[in-house]
Amino acid sequence: MKRWKAITGLGVSAALVAMTAPAATASSPTLVGKTHGVTLNFMIASSGPAETNADKAAAAAWAKSTGNKVNVINSSNLTLQLTEAFSGGTPPDVFYGETPMFESMAKNAQLLASGTLVDPASDFYSSLVQAYTYNHTFYCVPKDSSTLAIEINTAMWTAAGLTNADLPTTWAKLAYDAKALTKGHVTGLVMSNSLDRVGAFFAEAGGSYMNKSDTGFAFNSPQDTQALTYLQGLAKKGYLKFTPGDGVDAGWGGEALGTGLAAMTIEGNWIIGAMQSDYPKIAYEVVPMPAGPTGKHGTLVFTNCWGIAAASKYTAAAVSFVKSLASPAQQLKFANAFGVMPSRPAVAQEWAKEHTAPIATGTETPNVSAFVQGDAYALPQVATVGFATVETAFNNEIDGLASANPQQMLSSMQTNAQALLQP
Amino acid sequence: MATVPQSAGPVTTRGELKAGPATTRSGGRAKAKSGRSPLHRGENLFGWLFVSPSVAILVVFMVIPIFLALYVSFTNWSGLTSPFSHSVQLVGLTNYRTLITKPGLYQTDFATSVRDNFYFFLFTVPLQTALALWLANLVNSRFLRAKGFFRTAFYFPSVTSSIAITIVFIFLFQGNGVVDSILGWFGIRGPDWVYDQSGVFTNILNSLGISSPGWGNHMFIGLSLWNWVAGPSVGMCVLIILLVWTTSGTFMLFFLAAMQTIGEEVDEASAIDGATPWERFRFVTLPLLRPALVLVVTLGFISTWQVFDQVVLLGPQNPTTITPSYFAYQVSFQDSNFGAGAAVAFLLFCLIIFLTLLQRRFVKEDLTK
Repeated sequence: MKRWKAITGLGVSAALVAMTAPAATASSPTLVGKTHGVTLNFMIASSGPAETNADKAAAAAWAKSTGNKVNVINSSNLTLQLTEAFSGGTPPDVFYGETPMFESMAKNAQLLASGTLVDPASDFYSSLVQAYTYNHTFYCVPKDSSTLAIEINTAMWTAAGLTNADLPTTWAKLAYDAKALTKGHVTGLVMSNSLDRVGAFFAEAGGSYMNKSDTGFAFNSPQDTQALTYLQGLAKKGYLKFTPGDGVDAGWGGEALGTGLAAMTIEGNWIIGAMQSDYPKIAYEVVPMPAGPTGKHGTLVFTNCWGIAAASKYTAAAVSFVKSLASPAQQLKFANAFGVMPSRPAVAQEWAKEHTAPIATGTETPNVSAFVQGDAYALPQVATVGFATVETAFNNEIDGLASANPQQMLSSMQTNAQALLQP
Repeated sequence: MATVPQSAGPVTTRGELKAGPATTRSGGRAKAKSGRSPLHRGENLFGWLFVSPSVAILVVFMVIPIFLALYVSFTNWSGLTSPFSHSVQLVGLTNYRTLITKPGLYQTDFATSVRDNFYFFLFTVPLQTALALWLANLVNSRFLRAKGFFRTAFYFPSVTSSIAITIVFIFLFQGNGVVDSILGWFGIRGPDWVYDQSGVFTNILNSLGISSPGWGNHMFIGLSLWNWVAGPSVGMCVLIILLVWTTSGTFMLFFLAAMQTIGEEVDEASAIDGATPWERFRFVTLPLLRPALVLVVTLGFISTWQVFDQVVLLGPQNPTTITPSYFAYQVSFQDSNFGAGAAVAFLLFCLIIFLTLLQRRFVKEDLTK
């Protein structure tokens, strides 16, 4: 639950300008400070003890091998603490970079353009590199990635008489399955009332958040309207419900799946840890998001990055530290420790090979290939400064989707989002 | 009714008596000031010296931040640099305009937060005052046993952490929580309390068959009139119940303290004059509690416009309970728009000042009657 909140909050994404531009460095910044015998402040926003311990172990390993010290600070409200640190002029040297703050940090020259200093951009998923590129500069190395997929309660699936041939590979099949699985207090499909879930269907319909030339938003496109209308059809019949506030007593999709209120849900790979720790008795299967009417696949990607403060006195040491954090071996360690997906395609493939059990029970990790394959075509989120408020206004209307006008919901989001681009 | 002026007699006497020593004291001070006897030389200097620590604290932590916030409300400060760095530009009244006059999301959100907070204030202040008064009257009763126990019990919610209480309330009012279970015994399917955004007045009107009449479509500061009259959301009702319950203890204490300054002879005198218990309360006790009542209402007034921690806990994205103070926080930190956030804070400040002045005016007029 905590993880879900953290990741949706972080809501990753691509800066508007960045969408068109391939990643490239304008000019490399000069690094300062010694590379040994220094103490780095490392601010994290951990999802739980597993992540905190993994970060501490990684920091200790780097510190030992290079003769430095790392002070790990776990923040419970990263945005607040980072803002205070930056405005006070004493930011942490290395920190979890969150997308909502990314554009603002880059604009105010608070972020060291460290992307290509660590490794070439081509080593990482291009959707993630785009998310951290502002004004043609690759600022920040993607820490990890998370994509959405469908999680299915295996027991309910079999009880409803569904087989592998019925897996929700298309919109039609998803609607059929949701109907078959809706029984009594069980809702076929339950997902969070957020653009961070609904948006995946935009992509499947061939739509997007931005227009083709990436000069503005495209929420009022026919494709996006088609996607929202499809979901409305399911919601009207009661096969799809949103959480919280739409009559499902769960805080998020994972809780609905775990407590047996939902037969299917749409969540990212952070659900793995939650199922293991909170609902080990539920057996579930992970399948990719369905293809839309045109056969196009679509999902959303969420990410954090390893931010380095431009004002740090030890940027040379910080870059060396981030290099070790983002190294393939370390990424695999993080993935196995708390279920985040590596941001390097090569490492992600390797991780996927290790976890292929089709159905997860108890404390097992399910087949993660559904998550990993999404990275190739996932839609990054909007990073435009101020978009959080626009998204909240849209999210507030999702619970009432069954009786709302999808076109009107989208066009008001379009107006609100477009207003952000006017100076 | 004939008893009323008589029983009001001791009031004035008492009031004058009370005022007596105060006048003498202030008279004394005036003398010292003008006298300039060698004994009092340097008194002023020492006075300032003694209060300087608290003055310094006030200036550093209150006065400077207030002026800094006022300055920020006229800038486009992102919160990531020093507010005086060259990247921060003065933008004049732009921030205020986006909140009040310029159609857009900020205008709608600000209007919604003011509406929500207005209904919150409208229900909370009278309810908490009435409950506190009733509780104080109860525990002040001569015939009540175990007074100490009841006083502690009623005061308890006030000393408990608001965070803990709010979490307990969320559990009570959640989907299949205690409240909905109890309603279930009577065959009522309770709402999704905390997350229900629908307005209570709208719900009542809808059940009577009235839904959004023609006049309801007129827009006023970013919200339709129908939205303005929607009443508190169901989620806000939970917050109202919570606040009334937690604050009534503190205010009960204020009333209790005031009640104990009323001599028993006043009560007895009016009883002998033939006043019923209700008349004694209404025409004797209540007028004597006037200062306490003004204090409680004023404090309630201000605190209901500043409610924040409970709102944060009810859910960061929860649309049912957005207040201006929370909206200011959201705009500042979520959108990195500290200018607009500070502008919200100053508009809220003006609103509180305006409403407090209005309330004082009413109280004064009432006094001269």
